[in-house]
Amino acid sequence: MVPVARRNLLAEKGRLAISVAGVAFAVLLTLLVLSLYRGWSSVGKLIERLPGDVWIAQQGTSGPFNSSSYLTGGLEDKLAGISGVQLVLPVYAREMSFDHKGKELRVFFMALDAPAGAPLSQDVRERFLPAEGDVNLDTVFADEAGVGVGDTLDVQGRALRVARISAGGNAALTQFAFLNAEDARQIFGVPGVVTFYLLTTSAGAEVNAIEAAAKEVVPKSEARTSEEFAGQISKTVEKGFLPVVGVLVGLGIVVGGAVIGLTTYTATIEKSRDFGVLKALGASGAYLYRIVITQSLIVGVLGSLLGVIASAIAADLIQRSIPEFLTEFWWTDAALVVGGALAMAVVASFVPVRRINGIDPAMVFRA
Amino acid sequence: MNDQRPILRVEHVSKVFGSGRTLVRAVDDVDFAASSGEMVVIMGPSGSGKTTLLTMIGGLLRPTSGRIFIDGIDVTAMRRGELPRVRRHHVGFVFQTFNLLDALSAQENVEVALNVAGVAGGEARERARALLVEAGLEGRLDFKAKDLSGGEKQRVCIARALANEPRLLLADEPTANLDTRHGHEVMELLHDLTRGQGRTAIVVSHDLRLREMADRVLWLADGRLRELGPGEEDPYLAAGRGRRETGRG
Repeated sequence: MVPVARRNLLAEKGRLAISVAGVAFAVLLTLLVLSLYRGWSSVGKLIERLPGDVWIAQQGTSGPFNSSSYLTGGLEDKLAGISGVQLVLPVYAREMSFDHKGKELRVFFMALDAPAGAPLSQDVRERFLPAEGDVNLDTVFADEAGVGVGDTLDVQGRALRVARISAGGNAALTQFAFLNAEDARQIFGVPGVVTFYLLTTSAGAEVNAIEAAAKEVVPKSEARTSEEFAGQISKTVEKGFLPVVGVLVGLGIVVGGAVIGLTTYTATIEKSRDFGVLKALGASGAYLYRIVITQSLIVGVLGSLLGVIASAIAADLIQRSIPEFLTEFWWTDAALVVGGALAMAVVASFVPVRRINGIDPAMVFRA
Repeated sequence: MNDQRPILRVEHVSKVFGSGRTLVRAVDDVDFAASSGEMVVIMGPSGSGKTTLLTMIGGLLRPTSGRIFIDGIDVTAMRRGELPRVRRHHVGFVFQTFNLLDALSAQENVEVALNVAGVAGGEARERARALLVEAGLEGRLDFKAKDLSGGEKQRVCIARALANEPRLLLADEPTANLDTRHGHEVMELLHDLTRGQGRTAIVVSHDLRLREMADRVLWLADGRLRELGPGEEDPYLAAGRGRRETGRG
């Protein structure tokens, strides 16, 4: 078959380029917003990487950030006696503000109180269990604070040396910083109180049973899996972010659809005489519609591919240059957006159908 | 090769536009037939209804009354949706303004007519190529339509008209946009295709030179058709004299 659609588009290369760029921009907008959403939705992942899988918190604690949790300290041995519990780590956590070189900084301090012989990997110890007087920071916070490894932070009169800076502790609204448990006790200044107990359970252990037993040990407490606990952070982010995502994704779809629709419509109008000639030659409606839909799909496919490539590059660049912006590029999102763009292309190709139907083939006899 | 078998029969065809005081009878009770191998030239002043008649024969406009048969098929009795099939397989069009698709090459312009009729791929390419070679355009196959000269465009248009081997060729002022030499070449080509291949050609034109090549010349004035005899005087001169005598024009 003669590729009439392709020839028509290539005959107007400038307009084709603008149309493809328009669709690519719409796809870029949509995918960037989605990658930001994915990035922000995964802010709780750090909780899941901590050494433990069940969190005991004060009843009514909706998550690590949103509410306070005060539990009686020194109950770790009793909790360790619950069937299915292998290890118990008291956790001290609190978001705090402090000054550093005249700048007010805010960070979410967390300390795991692990006994000396606790079966923890070297990586976990280095990352989450700094020595007394040390603090491990997230890269985003370190950038914001303007500190590097070896610098000292003064928090509530206690000097903390920056021992390690690593990625993955950015929770969008705040960043995690890991302290030694002794430093946390001194800085927080609430003796005999822990924020959470983090339990490592054996495979197949029943969370409900552990929760029931834990309540006997720690009054007015509740248990949540790490996944649930992390999910609380994601939920908070999603609650504030989803409506914005919805609007921007909708905007991207409308822009993309409008660009494809306009391109197809103008290309059809400009080629009205050609369509009239084809009608006069006996072309069926299906043949003519195939030309229109192919034109529309070519613009949709080229624009989508360009948009996906640009989005993948842009998401990576944004993550590197502005670490506060958490981006996570999902290829499944890209596939969905491309599918959406192609669906829009098909829908947009219906716009000029009436126009084609209305073309009088007798026009071919008019000079 | 005129075998006297009518490929086209036009029976008492009329076309009326408007109504009441604005009523215009563009074609008035036209009745004629054209046989295989015959080239019929229809002449007449501007606005006499020539193109309207051609448009109706081509199935692009419905007559107000009368019947048109192409290859024995009553196209006036067909539903609107059935007419494209007749145009695909039974009629070839040659236009005054060529009506080539500018974005396509010469070969693709012919090939597209085959595609429309369901012939695709290598077969369509080969047939398009053969038709253009026959039309003397071997060196212009890949030229974009817009890059061809007027004469070349008309040859491509003729090759396209022949692509689906129709029995009836309808040509609307095929030489109007061509110089004398190219106009003559195009008419010779049309003549050969009609006579040599047993087709019927209906050519609408102002061009008096076509009279020499025509088997019959029909004169259409004010929607009414009559046959011009071989010795009859130049109808345009006669029409002009008539207007002067009656004080019109």
